[in-house]
Amino acid sequence: MNVAILGSGQWGRSLAMLTAEAGHQPMMGYRGDPPRGFQGSPNLAALCREVELVIVAVPAHEVRGLLDVARPGPQNRVVLATRGLEPETGRWLSQVVLDETSCLRVGALAGPAIASEISARRPSAMVAASAFDEVAALTQKALHSPICRIYTSNDLVGVEMAGALVRVLAVAVGVADALQLGVGVQAVVVTRGLAEGRRLGKALGAAEGTFSGLSGVGELVAAGKHPEHPGTSVGKRLAVQGGADEGIAREAAALLTLAKRYKVNLPLTEAVGAIAAGKIKPRLAIDMLMRREATSE
Amino acid sequence: MPPDPSTAAPPRPPPSAALPAGISVDELRASLLLRARARLSALPDADVADLLSEAVFLERRRFADARGGLSPEDEDERRAVERASRAVHLSRREQEAALLALVDDYVGQIHNRFSPRTYRFATTVLPGGLSRLLQAGELRGLVGGAHDPLQRIRIEGDLPRLQRLVRSHTLMLTPTHLSNLDSPLIGYALYAAGLPPFIYGAGLNLFSNPLMAFFMSRLGAYTVDRRKRHQLYKDTLKDYSTESVLRGRHSLFFPGGTRARSGEVEQGVKKGLLGTGLIAWQEALRIERAGGPKARDVLVVPCTLTYAMVLEAETLIEDALKESGQRRYIISDDAFSEPRTIATFAQQILALDASVIVRFGDPVDLFGNPVDEAGRSLGHAGEPIDPRAYVCDAEGVVQEDPQRDRVYTAALSRALVQAWSRDNTAMETHLAAFAAYRLLCLRTPRRSTWERMFLSEEERTLPRSALLAAIGALRDRLDALVSAGQLRAALPEGPKRDAETLSLALDRFGRFHREACLSAVGADGVRVAPKLALYYSNRLAHYGLQDVALDVPAAPRPLVESP
Repeated sequence: MNVAILGSGQWGRSLAMLTAEAGHQPMMGYRGDPPRGFQGSPNLAALCREVELVIVAVPAHEVRGLLDVARPGPQNRVVLATRGLEPETGRWLSQVVLDETSCLRVGALAGPAIASEISARRPSAMVAASAFDEVAALTQKALHSPICRIYTSNDLVGVEMAGALVRVLAVAVGVADALQLGVGVQAVVVTRGLAEGRRLGKALGAAEGTFSGLSGVGELVAAGKHPEHPGTSVGKRLAVQGGADEGIAREAAALLTLAKRYKVNLPLTEAVGAIAAGKIKPRLAIDMLMRREATSE
Repeated sequence: MPPDPSTAAPPRPPPSAALPAGISVDELRASLLLRARARLSALPDADVADLLSEAVFLERRRFADARGGLSPEDEDERRAVERASRAVHLSRREQEAALLALVDDYVGQIHNRFSPRTYRFATTVLPGGLSRLLQAGELRGLVGGAHDPLQRIRIEGDLPRLQRLVRSHTLMLTPTHLSNLDSPLIGYALYAAGLPPFIYGAGLNLFSNPLMAFFMSRLGAYTVDRRKRHQLYKDTLKDYSTESVLRGRHSLFFPGGTRARSGEVEQGVKKGLLGTGLIAWQEALRIERAGGPKARDVLVVPCTLTYAMVLEAETLIEDALKESGQRRYIISDDAFSEPRTIATFAQQILALDASVIVRFGDPVDLFGNPVDEAGRSLGHAGEPIDPRAYVCDAEGVVQEDPQRDRVYTAALSRALVQAWSRDNTAMETHLAAFAAYRLLCLRTPRRSTWERMFLSEEERTLPRSALLAAIGALRDRLDALVSAGQLRAALPEGPKRDAETLSLALDRFGRFHREACLSAVGADGVRVAPKLALYYSNRLAHYGLQDVALDVPAAPRPLVESP
């Protein structure tokens, strides 16, 4: 099977490696210098015409622009290996695919697989989700190998939501770590983050167990354990150096808008949003979270 | 109200070359039995037994629950079910034979033996007959003498394009559904728009009214008996629709299923019949690949019906409030039981300008993509795309995948819902009812919807000035929605537009319902009938109008909140 991977950064190359490991021919779509060790083309549109499966592996804010150039069509299945919401619009990335292209068969890939660990051939696992069974199955076929297990799911909403929320919650993990608040607080962030994910997921119509799976808790645990996780790194930087992070602030704001629409309470996300927007010091945010009214679990 | 540029005077139907050929019932029976046999042969033994048991069980219950005894037709059906029941404990072969015998009966019940000859007769006689009917009786004066009342039905949309597409494509027309008047209205609108007849599934209950039956049987209707709930009957109906589309017959069905109980523009659709277009098209592609004729592409045409007033509003909103729409699927004793009531209502509503609008929306392909003038699918940037790529492999072979097709149909249904919402037309009755019901909510914030239905006369009487201010504030937001293409409006313009809106709404509401939705109380008050106000205001739900800040009218006296 020919698989196009759009994006030749570290994550894109890791996915190409997994594709080759699964016995398929990865074709990398790149801009700039061709990636070493893989076949590819800078002509993204031509690449999309040649393959069934297109995996997108660029940062969330670049997805729309990339699709505008690549123009996947009705014959393609597009799988987003990028977590989060589109920062500028707060839209789900699968929705961006539907906005920008005539491709309907869309999926998402998420879970605690970290590029550097894949490169080191360490075992990992991810979940491929799509409303179309065939898209999830095709992604599984393209990436499943002895070094990476791919599970399928048809809960695209749940997996995308988990991916977006974990990016924000990972910041809280980083803050707690940098402030040396102890292992207990990190565990609280994970478990109460899980509660937020379940509440929001339920409101959005996601399956109940999705946030407890690889894309939610799985990735959140990885964020706590991996020193270079992007979300955790942002949290540490904000806790130590102060300042703001526009991308995380926008994503948190988008999640909170969604939560407001569905009348869901997300206190941790709200705190991270305020920290990332530079509106509140991390230590004060933790203090305010702890002083909230006592409630039942 | 400015004229819609796409709304020319309704053209007379051309001598249509697109009239569908009649299908003999024997030919149809053979095709549908073939489909049923293929489906049964793919099922495991246990599922075949279940299918038969379910049909027998649900049908027996229907006969047992029948009020007032069984009709002769029902007696025939009961005997057929009892014959089938004997196979429940026999072999698979005998069970299949029993199921096929039931399918055989159902085909006869569903099919209407539509013929072009009948259609030509109907289109010659029917419009005149309908006009005469509407002008008859003591209410003749209301319809304005020389005017043909049917000319008051506004038919909008790109009609020339539809007239072209109907010759090259198979069209599935998918209207919103508010009233039992929808069926004859659509039948007339197709005729007036210069389009050939579309076949459609009309509920059996519509045929029980002689006046409606007259129109139904002449407008290409086939019969849908919604009392039959078992899967075998539903599958036969879907096969009927699939077979019709495959044979290039234009079809019409209400994807919302039943009349919208709450008065809202439908926010979801039943996907069963909608999905038959995709099934039929893929069958046509397979036939083409096997050397058969070129597959005729299928397009879906959203259609939005808007009424200033709905005859059955009182019964429908009662049903919505009881939250038992599913159980009371068929309302048999609403305002539609009386032929005279229908005629009177039709006379009343057609006496008013722009009170009934039929808008044919822009056609989309089976995946919800827009199409160009020639009916070719377009991508998001307006580039032509090949819809076959959604279902075929690189070699052009159709890949069977029912799960995929269900998701595609869900995408199509979302496109339909968006189109209905865009093509919905706000009228003065909707706007005034929305303003009034919103003010009642603001005045009684702690009451539940149900409690609000039982407010005292004082509580539900609003100061006219507050209502006018609310109409004004809502109108501003509404105009912004219209400018953004998210809604259409047929509302008064000019410096006195808000007063005129209220005055027109009061006039219209005063014409038919037992209790007017809004009625003037002295010079300064307007009394609100909460149920009807909720019903008519729901037509503007889902546009964010509830976020418009309105001044809360003072309560006439201290309110005693319920505990």
